[in-house]
Amino acid sequence: MLAPILRNEWRLLRADRTLHLVAALLAILVAYGVYNGSAWVRFQSNALDSAAGEEAGRLAAMKTAIADVEAGRSNPPAFADPRSPSAAGRSLGTRWASMPPTPLAALAIGQSDLYPYYFRVSTQSRLSFAQNDEIEHPVHLLSGRFDLAFVVLFLYPLVILGLSYNMISAEKESGTLAVTLSQPIALRTLAFGKILTRFLLVALLGVALPAAGVLLSGADLSAEGAGMRLLLWIAVVVAYGAFWFAVAALVNAAGASSPANAIALAGLWLLFVVLTPAIVNGGAKLLHPVPSRVEMIQAMRDAGRQAAAQRSELLAAYLEDHPEFTVSRDGAMADFATIGIVTAQATERAMQPVLERFEKQLDAQQALVDRYRFLSPAILAQAALNDIAGTGVHRYRHFQQLADAFHERWRQYFIPRVMKREVLAPPDVDQFPAWTFEEESLAAVLSRTAASLAGLIVLSVLCFAGAAVALNRYRVAG
Amino acid sequence: MLEAIDLSKSYNGSTALDSLNLKIEPGEIFCLLGANGAGKTTTINLFLNFIEPSSGTVRINGLDVTREPLATKKFLAYIPEQVNLYRNLTGVENLEYFTALAGGKYSRTELMGFLGEAGLPEGAAERRVGEYSKGMRQKVGIAIAIAKRAQALLLDEPTSGLDPKAANEFSELLLKMRDGGGAILMATHDLFRAKETGTRVGIMKRGCLMAVLNTDEIGHADLERIYLDHMHD
Amino acid sequence: MISIIARKEFLEMTRDGRFRWASVIVSVLLLAALLLGWQHQNDVRRQHEQARRHTRQDWLTQGRKNPHSAAHYGVYAFKPTMPLSWVDRGVDPWVGVASWLEAHHQNDFQYRQAQDSTAVQRFGELTGATVLQLLLPLVIVLLTFGAFSDERERGTLRQLLSLGLRRPDLALGKALGVAGALGFLIVPATLAGVLALALSEQNGALLADGGRILGMTSSYLLYFVAFLGVSLAVSAKAPSSRAALLTLLAFWIVNGLVAPRAAADLARLVYPAPSAFEFANKMDAAMKHGIHGDETPEQRAAALREEVLRRYNVSRLEDLPVDFGGIRLQAGEEHANTIFDHFYSDLWTTFRRQETVHRTLAAFAPVLAVRSLSMGFAGTDFTQHTHFAKAAEEYRREIQRLMNGDLAEHGKTVQGPYLQDEALWSKVPEFTYEAPDAGWVLSHQASSLVLLAAWAAAAAAAAWRAAATQRVD
Repeated sequence: MLAPILRNEWRLLRADRTLHLVAALLAILVAYGVYNGSAWVRFQSNALDSAAGEEAGRLAAMKTAIADVEAGRSNPPAFADPRSPSAAGRSLGTRWASMPPTPLAALAIGQSDLYPYYFRVSTQSRLSFAQNDEIEHPVHLLSGRFDLAFVVLFLYPLVILGLSYNMISAEKESGTLAVTLSQPIALRTLAFGKILTRFLLVALLGVALPAAGVLLSGADLSAEGAGMRLLLWIAVVVAYGAFWFAVAALVNAAGASSPANAIALAGLWLLFVVLTPAIVNGGAKLLHPVPSRVEMIQAMRDAGRQAAAQRSELLAAYLEDHPEFTVSRDGAMADFATIGIVTAQATERAMQPVLERFEKQLDAQQALVDRYRFLSPAILAQAALNDIAGTGVHRYRHFQQLADAFHERWRQYFIPRVMKREVLAPPDVDQFPAWTFEEESLAAVLSRTAASLAGLIVLSVLCFAGAAVALNRYRVAG
Repeated sequence: MLEAIDLSKSYNGSTALDSLNLKIEPGEIFCLLGANGAGKTTTINLFLNFIEPSSGTVRINGLDVTREPLATKKFLAYIPEQVNLYRNLTGVENLEYFTALAGGKYSRTELMGFLGEAGLPEGAAERRVGEYSKGMRQKVGIAIAIAKRAQALLLDEPTSGLDPKAANEFSELLLKMRDGGGAILMATHDLFRAKETGTRVGIMKRGCLMAVLNTDEIGHADLERIYLDHMHD
Repeated sequence: MISIIARKEFLEMTRDGRFRWASVIVSVLLLAALLLGWQHQNDVRRQHEQARRHTRQDWLTQGRKNPHSAAHYGVYAFKPTMPLSWVDRGVDPWVGVASWLEAHHQNDFQYRQAQDSTAVQRFGELTGATVLQLLLPLVIVLLTFGAFSDERERGTLRQLLSLGLRRPDLALGKALGVAGALGFLIVPATLAGVLALALSEQNGALLADGGRILGMTSSYLLYFVAFLGVSLAVSAKAPSSRAALLTLLAFWIVNGLVAPRAAADLARLVYPAPSAFEFANKMDAAMKHGIHGDETPEQRAAALREEVLRRYNVSRLEDLPVDFGGIRLQAGEEHANTIFDHFYSDLWTTFRRQETVHRTLAAFAPVLAVRSLSMGFAGTDFTQHTHFAKAAEEYRREIQRLMNGDLAEHGKTVQGPYLQDEALWSKVPEFTYEAPDAGWVLSHQASSLVLLAAWAAAAAAAAWRAAATQRVD
């Protein structure tokens, strides 16, 4: 029974010029979005390549400089001695910690324009190097970017609503509904056929578009997890589309006129895509306000002062904890580098609780958003799409954790050498801890995305069920 | 074939149809006459199950319409005052769709044959319905009925707004359907055509069927007089 | 005649459930947004005020040390909150809140508030600006899309015109009716805002910011006129109410959602900014080898030495009456300053060019013009951010001059390490920032204002024309 409906609907849609227009428009928007995303990924990759090049050059130069000093070809002052582990750990020998874009990064810029994706890890405090913000006109950050995720989140629902806001009401208004229903066919079957046609059409676009997008962006599909990510992306786009069809079906089933449907659907779109996210965001900030960074700066200054004032006590305490470092000392005042390290560590200890408060409040905000994301399919889809593209907050957290571990490793390598006043030789340079980015596990991405996906599906099913019930009471006449 | 038993319908306390009893046999054309709001369209909508009766039963071919809404429609064809078709599709595409919904599978030539039988001018079948005149659309409606081999026709003022020639052609088609064994219920304002094509006429007023007359027993003038008598309070 | 129509429109609208609902929702959102903005602004102001005092105190009580150590210790400059930022937070969450003013470096502003938020922030925040730029136009669209098309479809237009009514009068009457209904939404909000400013803790804020309030209010009024005109014109021209509604919704979406993003990406494409890495690297290279890459640090040091020896007419540094270390440091600062000026002016020029793309696109989407004006008058646009950043940088340079000057003058007078105390630190004046006035803002926003006025005029003219020439049925 569905086949003739599908065929007829397809004929009708094909005969309607607006469909061609909408499809063409959508294709242009997708192409533009993917182009923008790819340009941004290229920009990031270039920056990472330059950083890697800079690092290799710097380390090679360092080796030569050490060899020069060893051979007596140069005799730099103590503070510029390339053999000093202190200078190497602080600046000369430092390495870039970086997070490369995933194969699908071009599809959703996400938070990648806001958070640093590479920085130089040194022996100094994390606060001194982890703020490597990318240069960007702040108005652009405010506006957001025109990427495929934007097209999917904001415009794709509008295309769906445009195709289906009057799918039943228009037939009622033009009178064809009565003729159709004088045939042995239930309204529910008819509505189902109508939705199915549009859904297949749009889902096809939803599948073809990201696939084309990935190909256009030149992503490497053979990379690990790329295929899986693409499948997840498609699943989320299709589920998100299903939700909007369900909403359109529900509104149509309520039986109002076409303009009333259009207004109601525009209002729902506004509610789900614009207002609910803004309210959830505002609520998260109101209920779990992140402490002020201004106050953090003050705390940092205070802690630094305190540490500086107590530097001799701190040093004594440190050497008591690390008797191995006292061996090589002549009992005189420790040098600048040692004091620097000891006071920096004291400052960091004092700052730890302050920074933890930030983490705690941000975690609370995220938890609140995670809980209330089910209020808006747009939030669900956004979280999932960012996650899949590897530009969401979770991958950044993962990066931070890896960077923290690397920072720790870096210090453990250099600080004892500074304390023991060792002198570096050229082969040591190759022994410096090296950064590798370990991709976060696909299982983690999968489990987080699955929750969002399940949310989308449940919302869709609820709306469809509501529509089915309402269609039973639909008044064809009278 | 078409049967209403003690059929009533009321909206929020106001009665649109009051215990209608009606039985239309195959080969019979029953014309419902009456002023606007007398309950003619309500009766047709009840047969179509577009509205639920407040009490009473509607039967088509012995099947209860409210219990078997889909099965009963297999026997039905419905032609409203304005046969609304998909403007962007051709006549034959429209016919193909509606017959397919009724479970019929016909080749293109067969479909063209039905349209020809319904009197649609040669060549019009391949044009979009948006360009059709009202009469041509009615003919597509008849073609649907023919293709479906409908045993019962529900007609809601099908000839109003048609020019006399088109109306005449339409009546001819109705007679042909009747002779083929169709049971036809037609709501109309046209006393002349009711007398000409109808087997029986029923006069309705405020939801009540006031009188039923056999057309071969009365003349035009009688019908008009009886009708007007009923319209006076 | 016009007033009769306006009154009928107004009555019809206020009796319409659509309008009641829309106005209740939008009013609640507007009030909530303004209230949150007000509270946020006061919090931030308090924090920054306290931090400003704190950083000054830190500076004064840093104890005895060498002036150059003090310069390294430095102070922080905290971004001030502008009086109207509670209406429009503009780029504030997207630029850092503080910059460290230390020796040798012009530091960027760090810690963007947006980084301390969840990704939901990217959907946009609920601020007064969001409601005024995005939601109110939608209310206008919903109120007016049927203004003419409905009357035509119901046949009342025929009747109206048969009474001998002039069509433009009808358009004007309808516009005034809608404006009156909208006034119910906007006027109380505006009054509440002005009242809040008048009662705010800062005395004289209302007077001092009168120009900014006026500028912002007029910008939004022009924007609403533009939307009203477009809506009426479309309603008169569209074949049906349905077509009018869909056209206007499409316009609203392109204007409010697509255009800002498209403008951002187009601007980046046409005038790309360097990556942070490239920027820092080039600046580092220029620090060493000069802007043109044709000098070495050794050459510069030798030239400075020669110049100083000649100036004091001596042949050895030891014979100088001043401390060469202080002179060398100041020379280093001045060399660095030319580099900073060069690179930052380049970057800011790129940013300004990117803004011209936004302004050009405002010809298609009035929201780009009103957003720019709103942020401008709120004091939260990028231009005013750089205005502050420049003032902070000036202050940093002032500190360096004072510290290095003291070192050069007195560094030689003592044996052993040269130490200074609060006597010198207090010679550094407190950092005060004078925000530019409304006139300054206007001069920077002139093109946006002209564009927005043109939009309003063109839309009104289009409505007039469309009403005069529309079909009766």
